[in-house]
Amino acid sequence: MVEDNQVQTVNPGHSTEMMLLDADIHQRWADDKAIVQYLPERYKDDGIVAPELLYRNPGGFLKQDEVSEGGGKPGSDTQKIVEDHLDKHDIDYGMFTGNSWFNLGALPNRDYANELARAYNEWLIDECLSVDERFLGSMYIAPKAPKKGAELIREYGSHPQIRQVMLPGGAEVPYGRPQYWPLYEAAEEMNLAIAIHPFSEGHGTSNPPTGAGHPNSYIEWHTLLGTYYMGQLTSMVTEGVFVEYPDLRLALIEGGYGWLPHFMWRLDKNWKGLRSQVPWLEKKPSHYIRKNVWFASQPIEEPEEPEQHNQILDMMHADEILIFASDYPHWDGDDPMWGLPPMEDEMERAVMYENAMELWDLPADPTDLN
Amino acid sequence: MSEKRFEICPTTELTPGERRIENLGGFSVGVFNVGGEYYAMKNDCPHQRAPLCEGKLTGTNTSDTPGEYNWERDGQIVTCPWHGWEFDVTTGESVFNPHRVKAKTFEATVEEAEDTKMASGGSSCGDCGAHLEGSEPPVETYDVEVEHGTVVVYL
Repeated sequence: MVEDNQVQTVNPGHSTEMMLLDADIHQRWADDKAIVQYLPERYKDDGIVAPELLYRNPGGFLKQDEVSEGGGKPGSDTQKIVEDHLDKHDIDYGMFTGNSWFNLGALPNRDYANELARAYNEWLIDECLSVDERFLGSMYIAPKAPKKGAELIREYGSHPQIRQVMLPGGAEVPYGRPQYWPLYEAAEEMNLAIAIHPFSEGHGTSNPPTGAGHPNSYIEWHTLLGTYYMGQLTSMVTEGVFVEYPDLRLALIEGGYGWLPHFMWRLDKNWKGLRSQVPWLEKKPSHYIRKNVWFASQPIEEPEEPEQHNQILDMMHADEILIFASDYPHWDGDDPMWGLPPMEDEMERAVMYENAMELWDLPADPTDLN
Repeated sequence: MSEKRFEICPTTELTPGERRIENLGGFSVGVFNVGGEYYAMKNDCPHQRAPLCEGKLTGTNTSDTPGEYNWERDGQIVTCPWHGWEFDVTTGESVFNPHRVKAKTFEATVEEAEDTKMASGGSSCGDCGAHLEGSEPPVETYDVEVEHGTVVVYL
């Protein structure tokens, strides 16, 4: 009976018997020197100069219980991430998504941004991925320098733990434009996913973070991230990125997913009347989303009734395309055990690991990565 | 089956690129001359029952690769005046889903003029009603035949 009671208390949360992949773990450097050491001489004196998010969060942006022993910011001690996150939650793979203050997409100078991306990749391999084989890496490129970015993808993309290329959500022009296609070609060639994660929206040279213009407060900025993603996704689908690169896999991280049923329905509906503008689409637009695009769960949608969450999952085909993400150690993160509401076992397996295994083409055992 | 015969007009009054919309036995039907061939399609879009045949008569795009366009089927695509769905008037098939979304077509032909009155057909057509089926019902098309002299449509 005692054992039964223990099972009962765990039941509503995620079962530790199940594999678990976390699609969004933010590691950062404790000191800028960690990155600057890899910069070429022409930029070493500059250090890191990147546009900052000007919106403020009264509670801070980071989990305050994850400050490292020396007083370092949460996420700056990778060994602490291993203990407090991977080990604590029995996570099989955790995807490093990097430092969200590193707004390479908002920098005006292409060469400097590209060299910062290269330095980040060196640091990622030398000081982050080497810490634990369960860590996966998202390499960086500078979106304004796509040809050089493609070179970086071919240079760093063969590292066995690097499984995707990170693009910031914010950009000068939408990601479906052909100027970005060298990145997609290289990613497909190297069997890497492309990921989009919020940063650079509304800072520096990026467009305003909403179509309505620059918001007044962080609550607006954060709430409307999904609209930026809609712009990027519409562009990539309609411009034919997934026709040209049918094996390209795209992960949209931290942009939400509750909007996806509306988005797919509306895109398909409009396509019926406007198809001749995009005749290269061989199937209705939602076909490409379900086949080529994955969506990270955090920040989880919280409808009025818990059952409504399951309805969203059904409508968006979450069993094919939703992947769990914690966003550790950010303020709006979802706990691996308690963040998601109860789901059917089949759906839970798909969301907690199966879909992400497909997205990143991973072996069941991290020691088989090569 | 018992088809009703409707004389539309002399061929000289429906030249290539032109269309007419006629009430044939209670059903509105568009009759088209596409490059010298005649076609008849029910004036009733299967989406929301718009007067389909009143839409822009045009062509459509295909593509071999993203960013490149091929203009095809010029003069035989009608775009619904309400929502722009494209239908090929020669087959009634929609462009976006030709096998499942179709407009009803009728036989159209040219026949030697008869003395019968224009549009003298019966008042019933068992297969002419609109059948909305879910979100993507078929659109009906009709046969149009032409003999020298007069454009004739059979419902």
